[in-house]
Amino acid sequence: MTDAGPDTRPPASRRALLTRAGFVDPDRAIQLLADRDLVALLGEVAGDHPVVDVLSVAASPDDALLALTRLAAVNEPYRTVLHGMLDEDGDARDRLVAVLGLSTALADHLVRHPEDLPALAEPTPIGADGADVRAELLGAVGADPADPAPVATLGGGEGVDAMRRAYRRRLLRIAAADLTSPQPLSLLPAVGSALADLAAAALETGLALARADVPGHAAARLAVLGMGKTGGRELNYVSDVDVIYVAEPGEGASEQEALATAAALAAGMTKACSAPSGEPALWPVDAALRPEGKQGPLVRTVASHLAYYERWAKTWEFQALLKARVVAGDREVGQAYTDVISPLVWKAVERENFVEDSQAMRRRVEDHVPAAEADRQIKLGRGGLRDVEFTVQLLQLVHGRGDPTIRSPHTLSALQALSAGGYVGRDHAARLAVCYRQLRVLEHRVQLTRLRRTHLMPTAEQDLRRLARASGMATAAEVDERWRTVRRDVRHLHEELFYRPLLPATAKLSVEDVSLSPEAAKARLSAIGYRDPVGAMRHIQALTEGVSRRAAIQRQLLPVLLGWFADGADPDAGLLAFRTLSDVLGTTHWYLKLLRDSGIAARRLAHLMSTSRFVADVIARSPESVTWLADDGELAPRDAERLWSEVDKVLTRQHDPEAAATLLRALRRREIARTAVGEVLGSTDVVAAFDALTASADVVVRGALRIAEYEAEHSDEGRLTRMAIIGMGRFGGREMGYGSDADVLFVHDPLPDVPEERAQAQANVLAQRVRALLGQVGDEPLLEVDADLRPEGRNGPLVRTLGSYAEYYGRWSSPWESQALLRARPVAGDGDLGQRFEALVDPLRYPAGGADPAVVREVRRLKARMEAERLPRGIDPARHLKLGRGGLSDVEWTAQLLALQHAHEVPALRTTSTLLTLAAAARAELLSPDDYRQLREAWLLASRLRNAIVLWTGRVGGRQADVLPHDRPSLAGLSRVLGYPPGSGGELEETYLRVGRRARAVVDRVFYA
Amino acid sequence: MDRQQDFVLRTVEERDIRFIRLWFTDVLGILKSVAIAPAELEAAFGEGIGFDGSAIEGLTRVVESDMLAKPDPSTFQVLPWRGDRHGTARMFCDIQTPDGEPSPADPRWVLKRTLAKASDQGFTFYVHPEIEFYLFESPAEPDLPLVPVDSGGYFDHVPRGTGHDFRRAAISMLESMGISVEFSHHEAGPGQNEIDLRYADALTTADNVMTFRTVVKEVALEQGLYASFMPKPMADQPGSGMHSHLSLFEGDRNAFHEPGADMELSATARKFIAGLLRHSAEITAITNQFVNSYKRLWGGAEAPSYICWGHNNRSALVRVPLYKPGKGNSSRVEYRAVDSAANPYLSYAMLLAAGLKGVEENYELPDGAEDDVWELTDAERRALGIDPLPASLDQAIAVMEKSELVAETLGEHVFDFVLRNKRAEWDAYRSQVTPFELKRYLPIL
Repeated sequence: MTDAGPDTRPPASRRALLTRAGFVDPDRAIQLLADRDLVALLGEVAGDHPVVDVLSVAASPDDALLALTRLAAVNEPYRTVLHGMLDEDGDARDRLVAVLGLSTALADHLVRHPEDLPALAEPTPIGADGADVRAELLGAVGADPADPAPVATLGGGEGVDAMRRAYRRRLLRIAAADLTSPQPLSLLPAVGSALADLAAAALETGLALARADVPGHAAARLAVLGMGKTGGRELNYVSDVDVIYVAEPGEGASEQEALATAAALAAGMTKACSAPSGEPALWPVDAALRPEGKQGPLVRTVASHLAYYERWAKTWEFQALLKARVVAGDREVGQAYTDVISPLVWKAVERENFVEDSQAMRRRVEDHVPAAEADRQIKLGRGGLRDVEFTVQLLQLVHGRGDPTIRSPHTLSALQALSAGGYVGRDHAARLAVCYRQLRVLEHRVQLTRLRRTHLMPTAEQDLRRLARASGMATAAEVDERWRTVRRDVRHLHEELFYRPLLPATAKLSVEDVSLSPEAAKARLSAIGYRDPVGAMRHIQALTEGVSRRAAIQRQLLPVLLGWFADGADPDAGLLAFRTLSDVLGTTHWYLKLLRDSGIAARRLAHLMSTSRFVADVIARSPESVTWLADDGELAPRDAERLWSEVDKVLTRQHDPEAAATLLRALRRREIARTAVGEVLGSTDVVAAFDALTASADVVVRGALRIAEYEAEHSDEGRLTRMAIIGMGRFGGREMGYGSDADVLFVHDPLPDVPEERAQAQANVLAQRVRALLGQVGDEPLLEVDADLRPEGRNGPLVRTLGSYAEYYGRWSSPWESQALLRARPVAGDGDLGQRFEALVDPLRYPAGGADPAVVREVRRLKARMEAERLPRGIDPARHLKLGRGGLSDVEWTAQLLALQHAHEVPALRTTSTLLTLAAAARAELLSPDDYRQLREAWLLASRLRNAIVLWTGRVGGRQADVLPHDRPSLAGLSRVLGYPPGSGGELEETYLRVGRRARAVVDRVFYA
Repeated sequence: MDRQQDFVLRTVEERDIRFIRLWFTDVLGILKSVAIAPAELEAAFGEGIGFDGSAIEGLTRVVESDMLAKPDPSTFQVLPWRGDRHGTARMFCDIQTPDGEPSPADPRWVLKRTLAKASDQGFTFYVHPEIEFYLFESPAEPDLPLVPVDSGGYFDHVPRGTGHDFRRAAISMLESMGISVEFSHHEAGPGQNEIDLRYADALTTADNVMTFRTVVKEVALEQGLYASFMPKPMADQPGSGMHSHLSLFEGDRNAFHEPGADMELSATARKFIAGLLRHSAEITAITNQFVNSYKRLWGGAEAPSYICWGHNNRSALVRVPLYKPGKGNSSRVEYRAVDSAANPYLSYAMLLAAGLKGVEENYELPDGAEDDVWELTDAERRALGIDPLPASLDQAIAVMEKSELVAETLGEHVFDFVLRNKRAEWDAYRSQVTPFELKRYLPIL
């Protein structure tokens, strides 16, 4: 041919044409367009066939063309049908192209069953009467739709296949209507209902098939309850169909017979829907929601169901039952079931553990999503469908008890009813409904592609593009963006729907907002865990009333904060603390702005306030700490060097000693706050916390000594001596907690030519002054500087010269002093003197050849006596974190004994830190790896618990500060401070007791060996 | 209010019950009872009945004495020995802390928790106990010689035997309380009887054992006798054991049974037995909890002193009873160490945990013992790899102390309490100067 036929065009421009028409692989399209059957079907045309234009609207023109090419090979009479559909503009052609362009699975079906092509020729009014669909499927197996218990006349595999073919024919029509709809979001509820009706019809037909196989089937009156989306009449294309079976005896049958027969019927029905056969299976029928789950009998009587739900059922089961609806089988029995069960559903909120259960359910859902998929999950991920359903169902359970109008099992209807009933804001409800529809439409498109049960957003560019085009969007980027927006909105709307209406009417942001009646607000607050809803409502009122800027911002913030407080261990305390803080800071310019603008700061603040009384307190006293919450860098502990340079500047500019000391103490308060905040947020672990608390003590002690020395220098007699302060105990070991004192030794060295008495007198003044500067009662927290570990204890002089120490240790030293000196670390003052002190005590604490057997014996005896005497009366030794079984002192004494025995040969043991000592001992094989692990674990857990007790109770010291509490609320609170999930109080207790017991076994073996 | 609670309330009304005893068991297996009036029943079902738990062995930690007893309405029974008019009824209780959590010290909870663990793996645990006890003439007091009611032997029919009447009365009373009796006969010792309860799930069985002990004591009292479950009341007569037949079911199927396998024992059963054997020494302080228990355990006469198993071997610790063809669901293993004074809740929890451990970790079952292990020499037993069970409470404590399995199953609280309590018992026992010592040493030293 010499005319301008298709073959003479330059290939590039033809490719371009096809690319513009939306083909991703134009070369392949060119090939397919030349297919013999296709050309025969479409007829020879000059240039590109108009079908290219037609295909260009398909979700995937490539797939549509491929499918069409495969279909082109069909035989008559369907070839004519196909030809007719393609030949003229019209709905039939649109339907065909829409289906072929998205669903490779339905295309396969059409290739296999061209006899279903005519199903696309006629428009399907969607949402057709369920009864019609039922009749259609029953008819396919020769059962009588008018019979209340229809029996298939076309039985066996043939019947099953006939049913499945009828099902897919109907599915094809629904998909066609769905995919050609100009407004898929509007059509969505109808599609969901149509699919649910179709599933119900399949179940009914499956039952008819089962009856044909079960002789004496009349013995059982079996009803099939649809649950989940089937029950809610909002099914998607491919999903497990959740059911519950209930049966009553037929006339003249015993209960036992009836249940056996019913079980056989149920099994037959499941088989018809899900077992392999000539036609592919429809979907799994899942009866796992039944009482006792998979362990329980498949079928129960109404009474047996009732007995179970009254006695054993868990909260989530009631939430599931909210959706129960008779979908197949005996209507009367089904009705009897729903009549007795539904009142229970609406009483579920009164159950003891409703709050914990519903929170746990939500977490379980989120936990079950594998991390790799969490970001693509349309159903289960954050902001996914499950979130919408959960929000709606929770509101239904909370308020449905008193209000029957909001009990619909259908998510969108329920949402509308909640809005109409004034339980949620109208605007928010409408927006949530749109999100839900959008998510469902995406889910439907994803499932239709291969008719697989999937809820994952595709990742491949091509798949995303197809999804976009099938959902009324253009590009992959667009659908991705829409999906992200929707998810974000869902999370946000959850807060708005759930918490916004708790604000009083005066705090409405718009006329669309609603404000709950006091009764409803109380129900909702207690359903999410506020123990004193009336008090909470008072705080909410106070925080939101008025015309101030503060109130205005708080009206914005509070709904989401209320939710976050409810996630904490003590929502009531959180709300109260927030109110207090707001009173202190509300008028400062940055506070509310920060909370409003930094989501993370507000979230953290809410968590801190509802989890730690100590932090709530320190934040109120160090308001600047709120600014840290938006900045991870500020939450990280500051090292001693950085703090010292700050102290240095303070002391350089502040010459009044008292004022300077107050500034030092304020600095330490700030660092305590920083550490506490970091620990509760989980960004600072306990070792880092110890380090940070010790560092702040270090610098204030150094600072205080510098002040005292400055005073001495400027006194009449001038400086007479040099001084060093040696940290001991936890201070020396860098293991200070929130309430630790600073144990020290003071050592001094007279300047040349100064008489020793005068130097000693000045040294005494210096030491006293350091203690006074840090220990005086004042606005800022004090640091007790304690020198009781000095030679001769309280009877000895507060300060000694290095020579005096040498003399004393040379003559008197006892084993406990050697042991205590293991923790000696120069902290402040003259560096050289500090080193000389260390050199002096090294032979004592790291004795050559290892500690004498007599010393070892004495240390063991001391420990044994201490266990008997120091433990407070009436305290269970297993629970005392410091002195008890496997507690801190067990582990520390073991570490110290190993150091006394082996530090002379294992230099790594020469450290003041318990953990480093243990690690060195393990490396030197003085401890087995297992023993090391257990001692370390016990020490860390006891340390964490001691800090957690301070953080949770807000109290430093006191009789209970070192004891693992007994009462459940405290255990629950501690477990939250430690970052356990809610409901882990018992687990924490059990864990500590176990870890302590094991550590004690190691101590018995290693220390007392 | 659920139906079972309704049923209880109605029955109390209809039968004119004047008192309801709330039963629970302390850590040592001693039955405790709080009586309430019918008017308090509703509150008991709702919030539970508060009581001071501090006086009860092992029940509370020092500082929290308030506990709640929450009756289980499914265990409601009228007590037959309290007469028909103005009757008394009982229910078993779960013990809760004031916050409504299960008390970690409630033995019933320990068993429930262990059963739940089995149920997570799809297993139900069934037990049927054979309970032995002695009947003595009253008064039976520590300072007087014990007089058994007869001098019969194993399976003897004693004409007009007191024991005969006694068993009839006891059995009919048990049956009237809904506890089915499988079998009863005279045991080997004079005045010793055995009554076998029908198999039931372990929790019901444990409840039944507690009821059983009470019923037997009550019936004995009525007949002017004294019944004792002491493991070894008389040095020269057999002790009283509570051989327990154990089986696991998966749904309706006996998981121990596998047609055609060796002894028809499934792989699960073999691993379960292996678990029982491997952990038997650790759990002995639970299944044989008193100083006296070890007098039975080491008293010869087929006592299960050695850790081995056998097919119908009456000297083995674990016996696999003769298999009856076609009765697949009756496959079971018999653990013979438990004695009649054990706490049934804790013992069954431990047996189940030990067996499950074997199943979970695929323990290998050692060869069965075919000989009477008592007749082997020590060297022979060593050669066969047969270890003894602990020979005294002291030894049993020492082994249990190191057991993670026991700690985990009992929970740290009960574990710690049992250890302390048993150590104290051993210390008290050790400090005694016994008649034996006086008789033997005083004349010569």
